[in-house]
Amino acid sequence: MTGPVPLQSDGETYLLPERIADLTGLGEFGIAGESIAALLGAALVGTLMLTMTAVAGPWAKRKITAAFTDRIAVNRIGPFGLFIIVADAVRLISKELIVPENADRPAYDLAPIVVAGSAMLGFAVIPMGSGIQLADPEVGVVYLFAVSGIASIGLVMAGYASANKYSLMGGLRAVAQNVAYEIPLVVTGMSVVIFAGTLQLSEIVAVQAEPLIELGGVALPSWYAFVNPFAFGLFIAANLAEVGRNPFDTPEAPTEIVAGYQTEYSSVYFVLIYLGEFLHIFLGGAIIATLFLGGPAGPGPAALGIVWYIVKIWAVFLLTQWFRSALPRVRIDQLIEIGWKGMLVLSFANLVLTAILVGAIA
Amino acid sequence: MSTELERTVPVTEEAELERLVGDRALSTDDHKNAPAFVVRPDAVQDVLFDLRDEAGFDHLSCVTAQQYEDRYETIYHLKKYDDPTQEVSVVVPTSTDEPVSQTAEPVYRSADWGEREAFDLVGIDYEGHPDPRRILLPETWQGHPLDLSYDQDKPQLVTLAEHANPLQEDHRDAETDTMFLNIGPHHPATHGVLHVKTVLDGETVADVEPDIGYLHRCEEQMCEQGTYRHQIMPYPDRWDYTANMPNEWAYARAAEDLADLEVPDYAQVLRTMGCELSRMAGHFLALGTFALDVFGDFTAIFQYAFRDRELAQDILEDLTGQRMMYNYFRLGGVAWDVPEPREEFFEKTRDFLDGLPTKVEEYDDLLTGNEVFQIRCVDTGILEPEIAKQYGCTGPVARGSGIDYDLRRDDPYGYYPELEWDVVTEDGKDNYSRVLVRMQEVEQSAKIVEQCIDLLEEWPEDDREIQSNVPRTLKPDPGTETYKAVENAKGELGIYIRADGTDTPGRFKIRSPCFHNLSTLAEMSQGEYVPDLVASLGSLDVILGEVDR
Repeated sequence: MTGPVPLQSDGETYLLPERIADLTGLGEFGIAGESIAALLGAALVGTLMLTMTAVAGPWAKRKITAAFTDRIAVNRIGPFGLFIIVADAVRLISKELIVPENADRPAYDLAPIVVAGSAMLGFAVIPMGSGIQLADPEVGVVYLFAVSGIASIGLVMAGYASANKYSLMGGLRAVAQNVAYEIPLVVTGMSVVIFAGTLQLSEIVAVQAEPLIELGGVALPSWYAFVNPFAFGLFIAANLAEVGRNPFDTPEAPTEIVAGYQTEYSSVYFVLIYLGEFLHIFLGGAIIATLFLGGPAGPGPAALGIVWYIVKIWAVFLLTQWFRSALPRVRIDQLIEIGWKGMLVLSFANLVLTAILVGAIA
Repeated sequence: MSTELERTVPVTEEAELERLVGDRALSTDDHKNAPAFVVRPDAVQDVLFDLRDEAGFDHLSCVTAQQYEDRYETIYHLKKYDDPTQEVSVVVPTSTDEPVSQTAEPVYRSADWGEREAFDLVGIDYEGHPDPRRILLPETWQGHPLDLSYDQDKPQLVTLAEHANPLQEDHRDAETDTMFLNIGPHHPATHGVLHVKTVLDGETVADVEPDIGYLHRCEEQMCEQGTYRHQIMPYPDRWDYTANMPNEWAYARAAEDLADLEVPDYAQVLRTMGCELSRMAGHFLALGTFALDVFGDFTAIFQYAFRDRELAQDILEDLTGQRMMYNYFRLGGVAWDVPEPREEFFEKTRDFLDGLPTKVEEYDDLLTGNEVFQIRCVDTGILEPEIAKQYGCTGPVARGSGIDYDLRRDDPYGYYPELEWDVVTEDGKDNYSRVLVRMQEVEQSAKIVEQCIDLLEEWPEDDREIQSNVPRTLKPDPGTETYKAVENAKGELGIYIRADGTDTPGRFKIRSPCFHNLSTLAEMSQGEYVPDLVASLGSLDVILGEVDR
């Protein structure tokens, strides 16, 4: 079995902090050195993800939406308008930070950090290929769902602390929606765990590398998207609701409740919330890639893993933008109804069937 | 002609009306469009009830108020939904010292807003009115601008203490668990500056009250200061600024009726073509912004709608030299013929029309055929036809509730009676029906434009008369009054003009279809969710420039 992360001689996965420690010789300084190595590794992964969201936020989203709507979008500053990212960063940071008079601080100030931070935490356990994985706990899947769920708290904090009725409604909608869709999301994720027989993400990725069927000399890997496309579809739908994208973007719903929980945020706080949203889309993409699309697996040498990983999460991002341009938003009550009456039932059915199937094969 | 309405409605003869009103009529008057009965201020409801229930005048089209040297006057312009050519006016004079008149609100709900406006601008009090507040001007306004004694130069100073900020009031109520929410005046879904006072019970709408007037630009007064011949025509373009040209026709029709002007056939064809192109542009915008409300973002469908609107605007630009404020109509004709070379113009227009079926398919795929769109729109924002009639709804809003009412066919003008087209109605009464009506009206308009192009192409060159002979200075006889309406993109746009012997109107009143359509918002959205309220507002397609004038 060849995992996404090179193995050490004792069979343990060789994680990024350890490699940094070995490469730089920090390992010799004991616990302190290892901590510094871990920080360096985290900084590397964080920078990678933030760079991608920074590109996605101001530039890619405009370009993609423009392509869907017969327009050109930014093209004046730099090649393909890429330097708009710099202009946007300057613009957003230099704006005045307006805090509502009755805002409930420090909840109001903490909320953007919670929203953005919870997504960053998730990336700690994702095997990104090319040997990049910060940690690989045995309960990786549980950890992943747990930290991405923290975002809901941030949204409620933002909605409640802003002292704005629209924000409050947005915050309440966000909670109702996340509760309704988190369960199908986790339950569907569990069906993958049953298949793989492990909660460890590196293992789940490794299991998917096995060939499913041979077609004319080309081996189709047993990615769970191929093994159980039904669960894959369910997971994508639940994930859309989880990250609050169309057709499930009710917590923001600009035409109804202005911008929901983020109505009162400006300047850097707004950037953080915006960033948090994009990080969550990317984290959703990373979870989908890891659980269903074989993680960093792809043609070519294993060193290309990180490239395939990035391609996959961008594919998920593209999908969310496609939905955004094409689908109307469902109403909040309809959304909750779909969640509790439809998705929940389907996800449990999928779980039971998977369990029976796996049991029968075993 | 497929468009001829089968007149099954019995015509109420004037003698019959006289018998019905009886001795409650102080005298009769003769408006150019209809017989008028002058009644006492305390007999208003009596007379109106009889006219509505006995004679079938179920449409209070307009409430006009004005002041003469010796009296105030309220005019109720009544019509029948089944046959709008049958009209009657009820004139209610009141004394200058004590301008109090009985309210017509119990008879027609549309009198609610109509009389509020009359009170606001002219200063007549309506006894028994359930909500006697100003409607267009702020509560703190001093005086009534259309009152003859009103001093325009007096500054409207409002002290800080007096200054009521409607958004600042504390609406907390310990007894109830509802929440008061201001939607607007600045909100992404209000399509302009509209303030909707909303009371919410959770996400359910318990009460709604549209607060209008933010875009009031004294259009009526400006028209009263302009000369008939040239100075008024630019204003109508500024009312419904998404489908401008049909508005020009409203003024043209009223003024031409007032001064007995003829319009050459060729000009009528040009007018008809221009108006239908403009209607298409307006409907594209309506579809796009409605999609914006329901989809929630500037999505593909919004941009598609704008792309198609752009094509229609390009053609109108070629025709009139302007993209929005066309000022193309002249009394007795139009400003100019189609641009040279004519073939190029016709070809461009044909290309646009030929491309339309594919685009309509696109709309069907993305919009009306979309299941998510359907669950959002079907059976939301229900507007029962009886209620729609009570509020004086017209246009696609009325036709979406199954009311078969279109002035282009029912009160024919221009070249419409000579052309083949259909009035579109839908029976769903919901947001979805209103969208369907607009989609199909785009196709019908295309049909009309196509026929106009054919006509213009074959029109003999020596007979292309675009303007009849109209005196340089128009001074209709003093005391002449008329009320004429046309079907603009939003519904029945009526103009009342009273001539006072000068070259400017004595009174110029605009009956705005959006004004009446908007007044139904509460009926449509009470008990529904906030997103439905937003969708309903979008499906009404109100243009605040026309609501507030």
